[in-house]
Amino acid sequence: MADHPAVEVDGLHVSYGSTPVLVDVALTVRAGTGVCVTGENGIGKSTLLRCVSSLQQPDSGTIRVFGGDPGSTPEFWRAVVTTVEPPTWYPGLTAREHAELVCRANGLDAEEQGVDEALERFGLAGHADAIPPSLSSGQKQRLTLAIAFMRPSSLLILDEPEARLDSEGRDTVAALISEYLSTGGSVLMASHDEVFAEKSGCAITTMESLSA
Amino acid sequence: MTTITVPLAPVRRWIGRTQSAHRERGATAGNIYFTVLFIAVVGGILHKQLAVVFWPTAPNASALAGGSLVAILFGLLYLALRRFGPLALSRPAASWLMQAPVSRRRLLLPSLRLAAIVAAIVAVLEGIAIIGHTAPRSLSGEVVALLGIGAGLVGVALLLVALAAQAGGRWGDAVDALISLLLAAGLVGLVTATARDQPLATTGWPGTSVLVPVIAGLALVVVVLSLLAVRHLARTPNDRILEASKTAGTLFDSAFGMEPSFLTDMIERRFWARRKLRSTRLPARLPALVAQDLLLVLRRRRRLLWLALATTLPVLLTSAPHWLVGVAVLIGLLPAAGTATGNLKTDAGNPGLLRMLGLSSRQAVLQRMVLPGVLAGVWAAVAMTVLQALDVLPAGPWWALGLVLGPVGAAAAVHRARVGFVRNELLPLDTPMGTVSPGPLVNLVIGPDMLLLGLPTLIEIGQGQPLSWLTVLTQLVVGLVGARAYLSGSTSPERVELKKA
Repeated sequence: MADHPAVEVDGLHVSYGSTPVLVDVALTVRAGTGVCVTGENGIGKSTLLRCVSSLQQPDSGTIRVFGGDPGSTPEFWRAVVTTVEPPTWYPGLTAREHAELVCRANGLDAEEQGVDEALERFGLAGHADAIPPSLSSGQKQRLTLAIAFMRPSSLLILDEPEARLDSEGRDTVAALISEYLSTGGSVLMASHDEVFAEKSGCAITTMESLSA
Repeated sequence: MTTITVPLAPVRRWIGRTQSAHRERGATAGNIYFTVLFIAVVGGILHKQLAVVFWPTAPNASALAGGSLVAILFGLLYLALRRFGPLALSRPAASWLMQAPVSRRRLLLPSLRLAAIVAAIVAVLEGIAIIGHTAPRSLSGEVVALLGIGAGLVGVALLLVALAAQAGGRWGDAVDALISLLLAAGLVGLVTATARDQPLATTGWPGTSVLVPVIAGLALVVVVLSLLAVRHLARTPNDRILEASKTAGTLFDSAFGMEPSFLTDMIERRFWARRKLRSTRLPARLPALVAQDLLLVLRRRRRLLWLALATTLPVLLTSAPHWLVGVAVLIGLLPAAGTATGNLKTDAGNPGLLRMLGLSSRQAVLQRMVLPGVLAGVWAAVAMTVLQALDVLPAGPWWALGLVLGPVGAAAAVHRARVGFVRNELLPLDTPMGTVSPGPLVNLVIGPDMLLLGLPTLIEIGQGQPLSWLTVLTQLVVGLVGARAYLSGSTSPERVELKKA
């Protein structure tokens, strides 16, 4: 896996109807590094992330994730974690139980994985028994990120992870991304906050610079 | 500070005028015409069936059955009134007029009037149906009319209690629980009455001399309560009216879009929003998703109780042809297994969490079939045992046949949970009765179609012969092979998402 770049995008074209959104986009994220894509609203950041996560089919172009096609196989989703699409929460399952379930399904012990510590780090310790739909949008974002970081993975694809978070929350997430990179993980994210991106240790690139 | 109250009637008239200006001329009259025509045509086609329901040629129910029907039908009416408000505004009125400085009482009065009319009509129909099944045909028309009026008054009284509960505190929940218990008792009574041959309730009916003062007294009470209700109408809290308006709006969306999931999802969301949960550890020895389903089921104990009670319902069909009992048992598998498919429904709607779990669709669906299978098997086993104990079924290991229906129930409920939205884009079909949109019909049969795997059971019950272990084995094999084929055909070890991209 380490021989290949984490993400390799070349000649990517995507348009919505007659409106081109991505024109001949190229991007490489080397394994063990992080790239943060910035740019104004509607410029195609989320579309790029969705294509790399295989949640959207591009009109043309090649996308390789760790040298392979991005797909919907269990292997792909065991290596990649994305927050591009907000999850629908399971009915009648508390915030903590969601985290525990994800650990269990990935063959991990929730205690060893530090579920309670993770919730505490994200300021959710007092909401462990809440059902996620009852949380505020910022708290839901924190829970999604807490679960995303708790799970083993090689590539994180995060769409504006700082959105809806207060400054303390942003610092926590930036520190976690930095820690994730230091342990060999790769990150591709979109953000409007360059200070946050710098703190997280990702290289900043603009959407304009990706188009040939 | 004094508040100037703006007269409401001119505002309503203006809204009505402006809305009708955007409609075609005569559209409202056309709608009324078509509604009346529709009712007349359906009534004409189904008049024989309606007669069987409301006024059979001879009374056929005992006093116990009659009493049970009163508890069931009026209990259901009360619970329905509570669930839908009973006081609701249309969504636009809730958004705009509720915040306007208009008389709250005048704003809500038309809704109350409409609710009272609906409650009274439904109650009269229920009353007539019960009288039709229990009263001797020698009963005079006056007595029947008086009893019908009494039923209508009871309906309005129930509405007023529901209205007070809507505005009131926690006692409303206690009344709901009590009515649910009465409903359950009614079901038990009805099953008991069907299982035992009891004499028809042909004697002991009151005459007009008794009924007139009773109905007059009841009418007086209802009138006084109604006046009190109208006087205190403005006290109904905003949040309750808003909630009821959302319910009414979602009901309308469901009916208009032929999409029942809007309503069921809303009910589910509200159910969990009101619950106070405490995080527990998922049972360690079970696979993760089975453990999650188990947690969900254990948190819905009341539904399990209703399910247990429902095992007796096939008994109600003992006088019907045997194969109908078989159909009832098979259909019962769906709600039994469906108790545990809430999580799968979430996965089918949005695979976001499935991707986070990193399991293949085959692993996920296999794990999600376990608990529905167990619930369906146990439900059918108990239902069959009850039927056998009451001599509806002949000798044989019927409990075992029930248990081996587990995979059939699991496959059907899981198929149902994965169905998704109604496909309204399907080409409409032209029939002699008019144009029919096949989307809702197709949606309706997805899930129940898998019950065909229970055909060996249906044939066995239909024949009325003693059951052999060979049939049990046949059903087991058919169920397992069918469920396995469904799993292989609809999932893949190479795909996380439940649907093919």
